[in-house]
Amino acid sequence: MLSVNLLPGADSAASAIQAEKVRMEVISQNIANANTTSTPQGGPYQRQVVRFETVMKNQFDAANAVQQVQVAGIEADNRPHRLIYQPGHPDADPESGMVKFPNVSIHEEMADLISSSRATEANLAIIRTARQMAMQTLAIGKGN
Amino acid sequence: MIDGLFASANYQGVKKMLDATVLRQEAIASNLANIETPNYKRVDVAPAFATELSRAVAQGGVNNVQQLKPTVSVDQTAVAQNRDGNTVQLEKELTHLQKNMVAHHLQTQMITGTLSKLRSAIQTR
Repeated sequence: MLSVNLLPGADSAASAIQAEKVRMEVISQNIANANTTSTPQGGPYQRQVVRFETVMKNQFDAANAVQQVQVAGIEADNRPHRLIYQPGHPDADPESGMVKFPNVSIHEEMADLISSSRATEANLAIIRTARQMAMQTLAIGKGN
Repeated sequence: MIDGLFASANYQGVKKMLDATVLRQEAIASNLANIETPNYKRVDVAPAFATELSRAVAQGGVNNVQQLKPTVSVDQTAVAQNRDGNTVQLEKELTHLQKNMVAHHLQTQMITGTLSKLRSAIQTR
């Protein structure tokens, strides 16, 4: 990019906030489907996990290797499903009476949600600081 | 030419420090952006820059100072705190961020001070 970088670090922070937004959407999808026992693919809902990866902002200038982050993919968590005995459930196994519930743990999702929210706050702090720095830079030479 | 007015090693040194501060802000942003990325290693301004700058300022050579350029490198001293191999610690980064902001304030003030001294010398009042 050829634009003047007035807010140092804002690009990285913006990429992170975008990635955290995707993560938060996936967490909310997991929580929403915590008890979904049937899906179009058949079987209960599978917990989804976001995978992050770094991207080089400027490949041609390795000395200033400032990095951004992006979502590399949303993948299924392959841990086993929860088996709960509920013979009256429509999706219950006719012989054993066991129902397969999704491998989603609400506690885990809430912890992930908080960590995602904290990461977003940290990146907003970067943008706030960058803004203050830009204002100070613009004030160079003023006030004598 | 007019460049001679600004040819003091101190003034040029502060300008280089300001460059390094802006670069460190980008490095911290990069670290915080990748706080959840497995195997990410935190980056910072290369520690050699500080020693080179203080040596150049001590020698008083304006050209030596002007040739310096801060670079970003992987922080070799940072240790991963958990098994995902990521060496970023949120609280440390936020502390660095605050320190960096204060440093930036100081450096802009020093540049302003030098410029206003020059201005008052020109205006002779």
